[in-house]
Amino acid sequence: MVKKWPKIFGVMLAGLMIVLAGCNFQESSSGEKGEKETAKADKKAENVLNLSLENDIPDLNQVKTTDTISFSILNNIMEGLYRINKDNEPEPAMAKSYDVSEDGLTYTFHLRDNVKWSDGTPITANDFKYSWLRAMNPDTAGSYSFILADYIKGGTAFAAGEAGADTVAIDAKDDQTLVVQLEKPTPFFVSLTAFVTYFPLNEKFVTEKGDQFALTNDNILYNGPYVLTKYDQASGVELEKNPEYWDKKNVAVDKVNLKVIKEQSTALNLYEAGELDRVILSSADVNSYKDSKEFKTETEFTSYYIQFNLGKDPISNTNIRKALQLAYDPKTLTDVVLNNGSEPATGLIAPKMTGADGKSFRELQGDVVKPDVKKAKELWEQGVKELGKTPEITLLTADDTVSKDTGTFLQSEYKKNLGIDIQLVTKPYSGRLQTMRDNDYQMVVSKWGADYNDPMTYLDLWMSPAIPFRGNYANPKYDELVTAAKNEVDEKVRMDKLMEAEKILLKDDAVLGTLYYQGTAFLEKPYLKGLVTHPSGSPLDLKYASVQ
Amino acid sequence: MKKYVVIRLINIVLTLFVIATVTFFLMKQLPGSPFDEEKLAVLSDNQRAEFLSRYGLDKPVTTQYVLYLKNLAQGDLGTSYYFKGQSVVSILADRIGPSALIGTQAVILGLTIGIILGIVAAFRHNTFWDYSTMFVAVLGVSVPNFVFAALLQYYVGLKLGLLPVAFWESYSSSIMPSIALTLGVVATIARYTRNEMLEVLGQDYMLTAKAKGVKRIKVIYKHAIRNALIPVVTVLGPITVSLLTGSLVIENIFGVPGIGSLFVDSIKVNDYTTIMGLTLFYSAFFVLTMLVIDLLYGLIDPRIRVSGVKE
Amino acid sequence: MKNAESLVADEFSDDLFEVAGRREEDSEKISRPPMSAIKDSWMRLKKNKGAVISLVILIIMTLLAIVGPHLTEYKYYETDYGASYQPPNSDHWLGTDKFGRDQWTRIWQGTRISLYIAFLAALLDLVIGVTIGAVSALLGGKVDHFFQRLIEVLVGIPHLIVVILLIMLMKPGIITITIAMVITGWVNMARLVRAQIFKLKGQEFVLAAKSLGSSNSRLILHHLIPNTIGLIVINMMFTIPSAIFTEAFLSFIGLGLQEPHASLGVLINDGFKGMRNQFYLLAYPAVVIIAIMVSFNILADGLRDALDPKMRR
Repeated sequence: MVKKWPKIFGVMLAGLMIVLAGCNFQESSSGEKGEKETAKADKKAENVLNLSLENDIPDLNQVKTTDTISFSILNNIMEGLYRINKDNEPEPAMAKSYDVSEDGLTYTFHLRDNVKWSDGTPITANDFKYSWLRAMNPDTAGSYSFILADYIKGGTAFAAGEAGADTVAIDAKDDQTLVVQLEKPTPFFVSLTAFVTYFPLNEKFVTEKGDQFALTNDNILYNGPYVLTKYDQASGVELEKNPEYWDKKNVAVDKVNLKVIKEQSTALNLYEAGELDRVILSSADVNSYKDSKEFKTETEFTSYYIQFNLGKDPISNTNIRKALQLAYDPKTLTDVVLNNGSEPATGLIAPKMTGADGKSFRELQGDVVKPDVKKAKELWEQGVKELGKTPEITLLTADDTVSKDTGTFLQSEYKKNLGIDIQLVTKPYSGRLQTMRDNDYQMVVSKWGADYNDPMTYLDLWMSPAIPFRGNYANPKYDELVTAAKNEVDEKVRMDKLMEAEKILLKDDAVLGTLYYQGTAFLEKPYLKGLVTHPSGSPLDLKYASVQ
Repeated sequence: MKKYVVIRLINIVLTLFVIATVTFFLMKQLPGSPFDEEKLAVLSDNQRAEFLSRYGLDKPVTTQYVLYLKNLAQGDLGTSYYFKGQSVVSILADRIGPSALIGTQAVILGLTIGIILGIVAAFRHNTFWDYSTMFVAVLGVSVPNFVFAALLQYYVGLKLGLLPVAFWESYSSSIMPSIALTLGVVATIARYTRNEMLEVLGQDYMLTAKAKGVKRIKVIYKHAIRNALIPVVTVLGPITVSLLTGSLVIENIFGVPGIGSLFVDSIKVNDYTTIMGLTLFYSAFFVLTMLVIDLLYGLIDPRIRVSGVKE
Repeated sequence: MKNAESLVADEFSDDLFEVAGRREEDSEKISRPPMSAIKDSWMRLKKNKGAVISLVILIIMTLLAIVGPHLTEYKYYETDYGASYQPPNSDHWLGTDKFGRDQWTRIWQGTRISLYIAFLAALLDLVIGVTIGAVSALLGGKVDHFFQRLIEVLVGIPHLIVVILLIMLMKPGIITITIAMVITGWVNMARLVRAQIFKLKGQEFVLAAKSLGSSNSRLILHHLIPNTIGLIVINMMFTIPSAIFTEAFLSFIGLGLQEPHASLGVLINDGFKGMRNQFYLLAYPAVVIIAIMVSFNILADGLRDALDPKMRR
């Protein structure tokens, strides 16, 4: 016995050695290592861009995927009929042009002459038809099937499994002509074709790969500016310029590394060490970089708001709701607490979102909600009188830092300005969603990110029927306005109706308390130019970037 | 002895079965489904039902459970709901390597330094050495290791440029994460070793050995360490399991593509199959470690007979 | 014999004698002041300078936790958006956080909660952990088997799942944290005590006590546990900080205390986020926690030396 135990430790050590030997580093040859050293000294010598992703890459199967990170990658390795350009307008991509019928219901897309997949096979109208049907087919679809089915004629019935694929009005007239009929005139349909779920797929390739499709970089066929040369869900991707891309002469950067870095402070250290060319700052770091030339901010089409639950006492009381809506100043929240480039919200629709006549919706509409502490106090007292007692109020938030900070801010402001103590309830992400669905909340910090560049992406959320998730709100007048806008062909009239709808939602009915339009504060190396981040859909766009 | 091990192994299977069962039913009580996302809150109840039925999630939980066990019996852990299309086995296999490497290095390093510090502290009881060891130990447990990791990254990685700041590219990428994890191990091991050594040093047989003229080093090696090892082995078990299966914060800070964040993430997004796969993997590892420890007790100190080994 | 006795009694009455040496009533008298075990230990503890200083620090910390928040004009929940991220100054002795809340007040307010958590963790360890460990090892066989499997199952089930279910079921707060901690907080202690008692079980003094007819509970309380005390003290040193940080994690995901309350663990977690530019937000709560832990350890070590029979030199 006595002699045995050193032996046993020996065996254990040997076991550990095996474990050590089995470790897989993302192998980079020694030569590459040397290149990296020089890269640090003079970045511009090397035509490589290094960026970070803030989480793992869940799924590069364009049909099923739903998250921003996968979208961001797909947007650079694939391309739809149109592509969103630097100014967030759709520009011709796989298609060179389109015709639209008088009633706005029939779209005819003309494909470019020699667009090819990365393996050299030509891209045809049929590739689009196959992909779109696949994205709506209930057997293969993902959660985003509605982004096609809601607009394309026959899509809803097909997606619900009530009708066959042949009833969907997508027609590949010949290899270069694709005709689509829509349910309703949809002025933003062309920009929808730039959405990930609208990208083409090669039927032969997809069938051949079966289950393995899109699981590795070899199992994807590319048609975008870049191809993947490495794909690891936990550590990131490497992209290289696609030699078959139709517009390759306008793609400046040869190689892009997107690496998964979940910790913001780490990303900042990497940026300072020259290993990243762009980094998103956390609010705690903003103050010390604010004056740097490399510091920039931008906002997205994502609005944060308090969702009031009209189905719960005492929130059902309009005066109480209005008091809670006006009693805080979102500017304090964005400037002091969040401090990350977000802008205070005075409405629901994010600034810069398309309106009419070349003006944005927000410019046309102006401020809908303006904080007013005095009025809030009056409304509150009136509401309390109507109720006959001072109500107890709880605010539900998710458990991420930003939501929690927002909750703390509101709690302190309500205490200061209305003299009330509200209770905060924090729930994990899916717990919050579940609680909202279960109608078990009074008010909640919630958000909505636009799918496409049109106010409709927000405003049709609050249409009837009343559901707990949207605060049990239902107003026939509101429904009428939004429905009318959906059927309206005239741009100006349509926008007027949508503006009217926003006013009813926020001002008359006080269904939401406006908080902020999400922004990001980031640092960008001076030599990095033209890296576009879109405010909705797939944020990252490498096509226009250069590092020279 | 052999009989004991066989009985324990049968028990291990039973234990794992109980863990799997309880976890499965608890997990199904978690709010939401794998298809919950803010953006998809627009899904109508019909669409949601459609999704659930496609993945068989609309069936009664017991039916789902039986199905899961059937697949499990064939060694199939299923495919992930979040990393759509990926099999859970391949996800685990891809990520365990980096975590295991960092964890192993941290344990070996921590064990070595910890035992040495513990012995030194015990032999220099109530001196500067003793106090500073204890201070390091207390520091090691009362400052969370992520603070230490961040400082290490900032100074050693960024300011001095000695080691890579983050990423997982070469062996040197694994050094800082290992060091960051080691501090806690050193603290624990040093503290227990010191305590046990103090006790052992006061025993009669140590005096006898000394009187016989056995050399000091030999006394330490032959008698003292072995007797001090029981608590060290006891605490080392769970430490090893938790370090080798990945540390969420440390891996995030150093950008290590390990298994650490997978557990928390999979629970957050209701990725049922991944949760189960990880739970089984982790528990199997833990339970086997417990068995090894129980066996080690007998080897280290023949006076100990774990229940069931009675002659 | 009877005659002789009466004879003696008659002739020599007690009055004729005088006690020369020891008196009966004095024989039981203790000339030195009585020393109870506690007093004895206290005497020895007082000689240990480190332990005394630690005790003083711990008392000061406790006092500050009680009166600290009242020493400033600020309340722990009072926000001042004009004064966010102020470094320590004469108004805000330890600076302010991003909401402009006074950090001094929040730290001592948080110390209260963390001390409670520390106390709770220690109690759980002692009551549940030590008992299960001792019983498991002493009785062995089926009982040991049952408890070991129970521990394995408890450790095996992902804690986070249980915690999230608790969040959905219960109101967040101290009681919920307590429940979440009860589930597995004692496991390590139980395993350590079990291992140590296995070792002690075969030793002569246990055999002696057994053959003298000690009951199991007497055996545990009077013979085995005193010999394990060093280990118990050390393990508490690990449980307490880990409990404090577990609480911070639970608070973060919504099970623990909700804003505007904060514990030291929460303050450290928050401070970590701004560590690069507002290091003071991390440093001061960390210093408090380290001071408490170091003092607790030196004191506990001193106590161990004082209590442990083997340490009397």
